[in-house]
Amino acid sequence: MRILIVDDEGSLLVTLVANLELEGFEVIGVQDALSALQLVREQRFDLVLTDIRMPGMSGVELFRAIRSLHPDMPVLLMTAFAAEALIEEAIQEGVFAVLPKPFDIEHVIFALLRALRHPVVLFVDDADDTAPIAEALCRVGLAACVTPNQEATVLAIQQRRADVVLVNLAMPSSGAALVEQILGVDPSIAVIAISSSSAPELFHRVAELGAFACLIKPLEAARIVQLVARARALPHRPLASLRPAITNGGLT
Amino acid sequence: MRAQELFQEHRRSVLIRTDRLMATLMVCQWLFAIGLALTLSPYTWQGRIQSPHVHVYAAVFLGGAISSLPIVLCIARPAWLGTRLVVAVGQMSWSALLIHLSGGRIETHFHVFGSLAFLAFYRDIRVLVVASLVVATDHYLRGLLWPDSVYGIANPEWWRFLEHAFWVVFEDIVLVFGCLESIKEMKIIALRRAEAELLSERENAKSIALDRAMKELQSSQGALVRAEKLAAVGQLAASVGHELRNPLATIRNANKYLSKRIATANVAANLNDPKVEQFLTLMDREVTACTKIISDLLDFARERAPVPAPCPLRPLVDDAIGIVPPSNVRIINAVPADLPVPAIDKDLFRQVLTNLIQNGVEAIPSDRQGEVTVTAEGGQSSWRIIVTDNGSGIPEDIVPKIFEPLFTTKTKGTGLGLAIVAGMVKAHGATISVESSASGARFVIELPKGAGLRAA
Repeated sequence: MRILIVDDEGSLLVTLVANLELEGFEVIGVQDALSALQLVREQRFDLVLTDIRMPGMSGVELFRAIRSLHPDMPVLLMTAFAAEALIEEAIQEGVFAVLPKPFDIEHVIFALLRALRHPVVLFVDDADDTAPIAEALCRVGLAACVTPNQEATVLAIQQRRADVVLVNLAMPSSGAALVEQILGVDPSIAVIAISSSSAPELFHRVAELGAFACLIKPLEAARIVQLVARARALPHRPLASLRPAITNGGLT
Repeated sequence: MRAQELFQEHRRSVLIRTDRLMATLMVCQWLFAIGLALTLSPYTWQGRIQSPHVHVYAAVFLGGAISSLPIVLCIARPAWLGTRLVVAVGQMSWSALLIHLSGGRIETHFHVFGSLAFLAFYRDIRVLVVASLVVATDHYLRGLLWPDSVYGIANPEWWRFLEHAFWVVFEDIVLVFGCLESIKEMKIIALRRAEAELLSERENAKSIALDRAMKELQSSQGALVRAEKLAAVGQLAASVGHELRNPLATIRNANKYLSKRIATANVAANLNDPKVEQFLTLMDREVTACTKIISDLLDFARERAPVPAPCPLRPLVDDAIGIVPPSNVRIINAVPADLPVPAIDKDLFRQVLTNLIQNGVEAIPSDRQGEVTVTAEGGQSSWRIIVTDNGSGIPEDIVPKIFEPLFTTKTKGTGLGLAIVAGMVKAHGATISVESSASGARFVIELPKGAGLRAA
């Protein structure tokens, strides 16, 4: 696994590279975006992790350049700024995740491994209005697909292809039980519950089970892209302490 | 109504004033009558009555009797109707007495007219009526009983009384008109004053409303200023937070690496890893960077007042240069050694110079043979301290902003450096300005003589 790291802060770059090397990654570190872009042109990398604010070319510009060269290469951003318009733009253009500095190395590794898996955003929904949303996600470079039933969902999860799953709670074989089932197979999955109407009790129930977010239809692609990026930047499963022990009987 | 009130008030003050005047007149008349009796009356009645001294007694006792009641009332019950009626009776009695004392001299009758004029000061027709009645009654009765004492002769013509009465009535007509006119004027004045008062009350109400609006404005402005301050604090926190995050991330990474290296069984071998030493140095450096950011922030927040003392500039510039981290930019101290010594706060000014020099050093592109020069001149009425660099200059559009806190063009930095400089220079009563061109920037501090001392 070859990783390219870009940060103008020399000391941060050095320590980050050393840590990732210690974890067995093959890491190249450079201090500016232009040299990074040169390297991406010349060599093969599996992933790029870049700082946003750098003199000359910014990390977001680098991401755009890489996107046009290698549309499938996951790019992660890191930043010391809490909020910046640039970040939101990059997310809407399909950056994999934005990691806030200062981060724990384990957090970075968790995010890198997730990105390297090239995970898919899975929509579990039988309604007609979901497919266009999934297509919108694909257009910004996020792999997304729709499964109409429970069996296909569980299969996809067992194959560890999906890391964000949007579940329509109104489906016949769905509801809280399906959320429970998904998290039982893979607790690292971010489950986003969807309902056609406000359903506070049901939302509360799935939140307790460990759902990452709840949405009411109609869905907006931009909002989902944002949630996916946020889910992928999370260090650990959210609400893990709230989630009751889940029996996975009947699933394996 | 207010006009009525004001009229009554005015009238009362006129009455009191006139009462006082009449009381004084009573006393004077008494003294005058005694004098008159003592000097004149013995001769006026010569040959008819043996003892002239009876007039002196008359002047003393009768005069006293006539004067005392009006005087007492004027003091005890000023402005009372009864008082001025009694005064009218008294005053006309005085006329009668004086006429009598002068032996009925026709010239003494003028006293009657004078008295009526005095009484007209009351601006009250009733007083004139009573006075006229007293004169008439007195003349009529004495004319019948003792004509000598009023007309000076024993057998005046029968119409003599009517002639006197006619002139009294004539004067009364004049005086009544006068009274009515002045009462009318008083009423007009009262009305005008009431109007003026109403107007000024309205003005007052307006000015009170204005005051209140002003206060509200001030308080809302205060709230705005507080909100702005809060926003500034938020910005400052964000900026400083961001600046701290990079070194903290490095420290965290280095710490993680080191702890992983130590956590294995083969510690000794791992410690030979050159990265271990490198990272320890790095952590130390980053902690220093964090400390610097925080002390910058404190310098900015604290803004202590300068404590000026005589301080030679050349050694101070040397000190400041010593603090700037070494780089390949040449820093030149061109301050004349014999420059007169200004009174400045040494520590604050050293920081001003350090920040300006550091700023100059950072403004020079790495491909240029960098040079920052510090010089100073003046010393008679003021000093000029000049920091020049041969960097790429400051873009014209940002020149007005460079002394604002949090303004920075660098990817690293809190944007506090020049704001601290500006604050400290101002605290010294000095000014700072900047000139910029493509061949570099020139910061000039103008320090007036004694400014530092005044600022303290």
